[in-house]
Amino acid sequence: MKLVGRAWVFEDDINTDLLYPAACFRLPAAERPRLTMSANRPGWSAEVRPGDLVIAGANFGTGSSRPAADNLKGLGVAGVVADSINGLFFRTAVNTGLPVLEAPGVRAFVREGATVEVDLDTGTIRSEGRELRVRPLPPFLSRILADGGLVPRLRNEGYID
Amino acid sequence: MSRPQTQIERILSRHSTESPGAPVEPEDFVEVEVDRLVLLDMAATHPEFLAHLPHRVHRPERVAWVFDHLIPPPTVELASGLRKLRELAAAWGITNVWDIGRGGISHPLMAERGWVRPGEILANTDSHTCAAGALGCAGRGVGMLEVMNILCTGRTWYRVGETVRASLAGRLPPGVSGKDVFLTLARDHGAIPGQNLEFAGDGVAALPIPTRQAIATMCAEISAEFALFPPDDRALDYVRARLPAGEPLAPVRADPEASFAAEWSVDLDRVEPLVALPHRVARNVRPVAEMTSVPITRAVVGSCANGTIEDLEAVAAVLHGRRVHPDVVFTVTPTTSEVMAEAARRGLVERILTAGALVTNPTCGACFGGHMGVLGDGEVCVTSTTRNFQGRMGSPNAKIYLASSATVAASAVTGHLTDPREILGGDRP
Ligand code: SF4
Repeated sequence: MKLVGRAWVFEDDINTDLLYPAACFRLPAAERPRLTMSANRPGWSAEVRPGDLVIAGANFGTGSSRPAADNLKGLGVAGVVADSINGLFFRTAVNTGLPVLEAPGVRAFVREGATVEVDLDTGTIRSEGRELRVRPLPPFLSRILADGGLVPRLRNEGYID
Repeated sequence: MSRPQTQIERILSRHSTESPGAPVEPEDFVEVEVDRLVLLDMAATHPEFLAHLPHRVHRPERVAWVFDHLIPPPTVELASGLRKLRELAAAWGITNVWDIGRGGISHPLMAERGWVRPGEILANTDSHTCAAGALGCAGRGVGMLEVMNILCTGRTWYRVGETVRASLAGRLPPGVSGKDVFLTLARDHGAIPGQNLEFAGDGVAALPIPTRQAIATMCAEISAEFALFPPDDRALDYVRARLPAGEPLAPVRADPEASFAAEWSVDLDRVEPLVALPHRVARNVRPVAEMTSVPITRAVVGSCANGTIEDLEAVAAVLHGRRVHPDVVFTVTPTTSEVMAEAARRGLVERILTAGALVTNPTCGACFGGHMGVLGDGEVCVTSTTRNFQGRMGSPNAKIYLASSATVAASAVTGHLTDPREILGGDRP
């Protein structure tokens, strides 16, 4: 799976309460994404465009099991690439069908606003004529992403409607 | 001979669907059979779950449904949502439902009811499921979508992470708790996303189970995957006391020659009361004694990590013969109904109430800013719950300091951050 998009660069330790504030639980699903990172970067959810990429530092998605990936997906974010990613957020993102890749060094490698090319299956990241190589996404997880996440997969297998 | 394995590697290897017992190593992906699954009341707020209900449930007798976050329900919508969950449980044949007033917060409750067993794999939507590691059980929060997968198939996957060993030596001094041990790790080592933590050393044996639970639970805050204590006699006794006689256990220990990605050590005798400053935990920790100029308006004791009988004892000890500062609202939330009943029997509830603090029903409540006392704009809260993220407990314009229950109680008395030893010291003969 390949992604090409404009980069938004975030710091270390972006947590799920920033990605999916508690107020989301009281809103209809369609209105939740606009609260994404409203505490740490007010106004961002209005600026981000479908196909953009989120690039971040270490420990992205630390925190709770809330469906934080839904908000990024709802804003049209095409994928998240971070120096390191919390295991629970990582799983939730894959299950939601939001591409994610751990890429040590990516935050320093990417300039905000630059175009970035990410190949999840080879672990190659290109931007402004340079290249960063990281461990690719395992085929096991690529297949879940290719299915569009867990819900389509369970439907295909006849477990749910 | 195959490579010696860590405790978590051995548990995952034993549960592998593809080749049970075959060694696993870091970076492997292992598909495993899940021993026990815990669903929460939060399922009522998950649109995708409600829109795609599984046709049937794999081994419903191994599934528990715990109502903890939203109880008692503060809105009509949530109350209706809980009714729907009760109907679903009945339709799926799930009889282990811990409803309002008959349970408590899932992580301590599952341990209390014998659902957390050494050597097993426990899955739950919630991120603090690593609490199960206190009893040598491989617990991990997996999120609602993965729980749907396990409900349908009984299986999940884990990426095998590298493991760090944390050796504990010595004994905790009075006024210092498991929360302070965790804050020491968060201060000195920061977050370890993707890695596991295994506790070892001669300091473990003396740690009571609630202390181990506080430490293991909080390891979610350094993004550990699993946080496991060895299943020693104290842990096995705790579990056996909660099971029918003769029920077999299959505890797992690390191979003695296992090698670790890093070795940490903590001298328990030298741990002091610590506090994590707003708005993050890892590498954002100071001694409480250096922070006494911070005035507070709110104090909270509770959560899956720190609403145990040990915590309520610590609070009552600090409040004994004192009163909560007039500028502070102090709420105390026990983890489970059993803990609350025990606190009542020991007279702790009365001591806390007469000091001017409030004891609430067991619930997640304020910990996640859900209800039962959220923070308003400009409030400064010291809490023994689990997270100090911006907006976590209510207003994004509030500040949250994270500390032990003793530190919270001491601060509630003085009206500013306070090292509990300062207050308890005066009680010594
Ligand atoms: S008490 Fe807090 S941290 Fe624990 S499960 Fe409930 S909301 Fe999560």
